[in-house]
Amino acid sequence: MTTIFFATDVHGSDICWSKFLNAGKFYNADRLILGGDMTGKAVVPFIHQGGQNYRVTLLEQVFNLTNEDELTDLKKRVRSRGYYPYMTTPDEIAELEKDPARVSKIFLQEVLKVVQQWMDLADKKLEGTDLKVYCSPGNDDMDEVDDIIRSSKRVMLMEGLVTQLDDDHEMITSGWSNQTPWQTHREENEDQLKVRYEAMTSQLKNPHTAIFNIHVPPYKSQLDEAPELDKDLRPVLAGNSMKPVGSTALRAAIEKVQPLLGLHGHIHEGRGSSRIGKTLCINPGSMYEQGTLLGAIVQLKKNKIENYVLTTG
Amino acid sequence: MSDLFIRKATGLVRSWSVFDAFVYAFFSINFVTLGFYAFSQMYFFGGGMINALLVSAIFLIFEIIVYASLIAVMPRSGGDYVWMTRIFGGSIGFILSITGWWFTLWLWTPVYGDMLRQVVITPILGVLGMKDAALWFAGKGTPLFVSSLLALAFVSLVIFLGMKTYARIQKWSFYAGMLGLLIVIVLLFTGNPEKFKAGFESNSAALFGTQPGLYDATVAAGQAAGASTPLTGGSINLIFVTLPWLVFFNLWPNWGATLYGEVRGATDYKRNFSGMAWALGAVTLLGIVFFLGVNKTIGWDFYMQANGAWWNYYWGYVPDVSPLPVWPYPAMLAVFLTSNRLVQIIVMLLMSCWWFGWAGTLFLSSTRVIFAAAFDRLLPEKAAELNSSGTPVNAMLLMVIPAAFVSYLYAYDVGGFISITLAATQGIAIMYFGTAIAAIILPYKKKELFEASPIAQMKVAGIPLITVAGVVFAGFLGFLLVEWLFDPWLNTGGEGPGLYGISFKNTNSMIYLGVCYALSAAIYYGFKSYRKKGGIDLDKVQAEIPVE
Repeated sequence: MTTIFFATDVHGSDICWSKFLNAGKFYNADRLILGGDMTGKAVVPFIHQGGQNYRVTLLEQVFNLTNEDELTDLKKRVRSRGYYPYMTTPDEIAELEKDPARVSKIFLQEVLKVVQQWMDLADKKLEGTDLKVYCSPGNDDMDEVDDIIRSSKRVMLMEGLVTQLDDDHEMITSGWSNQTPWQTHREENEDQLKVRYEAMTSQLKNPHTAIFNIHVPPYKSQLDEAPELDKDLRPVLAGNSMKPVGSTALRAAIEKVQPLLGLHGHIHEGRGSSRIGKTLCINPGSMYEQGTLLGAIVQLKKNKIENYVLTTG
Repeated sequence: MSDLFIRKATGLVRSWSVFDAFVYAFFSINFVTLGFYAFSQMYFFGGGMINALLVSAIFLIFEIIVYASLIAVMPRSGGDYVWMTRIFGGSIGFILSITGWWFTLWLWTPVYGDMLRQVVITPILGVLGMKDAALWFAGKGTPLFVSSLLALAFVSLVIFLGMKTYARIQKWSFYAGMLGLLIVIVLLFTGNPEKFKAGFESNSAALFGTQPGLYDATVAAGQAAGASTPLTGGSINLIFVTLPWLVFFNLWPNWGATLYGEVRGATDYKRNFSGMAWALGAVTLLGIVFFLGVNKTIGWDFYMQANGAWWNYYWGYVPDVSPLPVWPYPAMLAVFLTSNRLVQIIVMLLMSCWWFGWAGTLFLSSTRVIFAAAFDRLLPEKAAELNSSGTPVNAMLLMVIPAAFVSYLYAYDVGGFISITLAATQGIAIMYFGTAIAAIILPYKKKELFEASPIAQMKVAGIPLITVAGVVFAGFLGFLLVEWLFDPWLNTGGEGPGLYGISFKNTNSMIYLGVCYALSAAIYYGFKSYRKKGGIDLDKVQAEIPVE
């Protein structure tokens, strides 16, 4: 029997990444799979006010820091939520406001710095174990992330590949999603996704025991329920109106191939499991901002799923 | 000056409209269904209704702070179940929330059914001239059971339609219901007692076949029932004694509170708080205006006497049906001020939207908690299964079948079951009590989580606001629980069901509560043991993974 631990959408949270690396030992898992969207969404400026003083606004709360301990503590808090602290000055902030391209560069620089730290941490923590991390950047992750992952000894980039996870189970992987209102880095239309999936499924030797590690959940699987948004990206009806936003191409692929297991993410509020025909689909959800690693443990036997459970770590 | 840079990424939504949040919270403290129903049953208290409304609203502000704070710290997490599970550990969170959000909702079903017939079916049939059908639906036993089944059918239809559709129905119902209520209030403030008395006599006779002298007969029956609740006044003690019944109506501003999106700051906390607080404030103000309107035209004493006459009969204290043979629905009493049948029909139809826009969410929280428990493997996977059209059929059956059984017990008053109406509030209040305690200890037990949250700087005298609010709300709930359990009437030598009907002396209530909690505990420990045999340690599944 092979036990896998799957988590997804850690979005730059140091706490969640550390927990993920520790999850193998904690849950006695044989394989660690990270579903995508590793990178954070916000840069928090630490604005120098002279001397040891910094002014920081975190979640609309203003912190006036006056010493090194406070600075260190707040940086840790910012990182725990998956945001990137950026040391700056009032003058630079004024320039950045006029120069969105430079803000994007800073984002990329901070993102890549942290991804590199994560790869180093993975190599260190998993050294001397049999554990490897199977990883595919998601739609929110910049292309530049891939090269850093490739340089890791313990984290393997699986995008677009068919992998032999153990003797009995192959896994196809993709972090690409269908189109979102945010026009993110790795998204495409359903026809293109169909081609992407077929390129992998056509290589499967035994499709019925395969695992679909696909970032986006299948359409109308209940794992893809997200709040309906208006044109200004506001949840309509105070978030009471939910709608399915998953991939129709993926759903069609699952219905056709009927793999053993689908591992998904993307929709953080879509935590749950559901069946499409014989296929068990799981989205563990994400609470990365709270430093909570949501995940799933799945015990695989040759032709079946022996057991599974969603975790809250 | 920029204090934050955000890039384009999935899920970065903007804040919702506070007005929309207000609408849903306003509908949850439903003035017409929960409100009219609760007020009508509160005819035997000594505390003034306006005073009680104001005092309860002060305490419920702290409930709103607690829930807005928990949502800000742990958004999208699934509510009471997840908060308690994360802060206390698995067993307490499961047992309290499964009982509160699942089993207790079975008991709410006949209450919703009763409101359906009192607010919708009977008055509409009456104004449509279908006297016999209206009177049949107002009766005891089978009519209530049928009405409960109709309520179940409607709730099932809503689950089938999905929240996307129902959320829109709710919003339109809000506008239609408000228009109806506005007309009712205008009628109340433009009428006078003489006109009401004449209209009451003539319309009741036309619609329900009552005899001349109905008004005086109702006064007499109400007085015999002990109708005494004043509009204002009463000592602090008498006002507080009123609250354990009043909260049946207004304990629910948090019902539909949610939060989506990421990188959301303190503003979102304030928006969430505002939506709920404005709703509570508006409903409280609406209550005061409505009571003053009733006092002006119907007459406060008569309103309470009509209520006393009805419930004295319905609860079985007197054998004969009350002089007005239907529930004295205040909106119907108001439209008796006009003899224009078309206006009566329109107002009754508009007012029915208060039920249709509200009742559909009866099983919403239940379905969510069943799903959450199934995902945690504390229920079979099948409990969360969807059919081919995406409907959670099994979760629905887990609600509908027991709810139909409980509705039967309630409708036919098997063993005095109808006396435990307030147990429906009690079961949820016990769960809220657990959540309030979780809120109190959150900043200390989950320090890092709290300090990295949007409410970390909200403090009162150095103490986190969530803790302060949690203490006040838990204290209020503790008071309610003590009053319900140790009924002050019964503890001063009084007889009968007491003020609230759910004291430790009510065997039905104790058995219902005991069975619910025992069943929750059996499910939790049974599945935990079963999963352990299958190789899954559920304690570990909920435990925090070490960071270092």
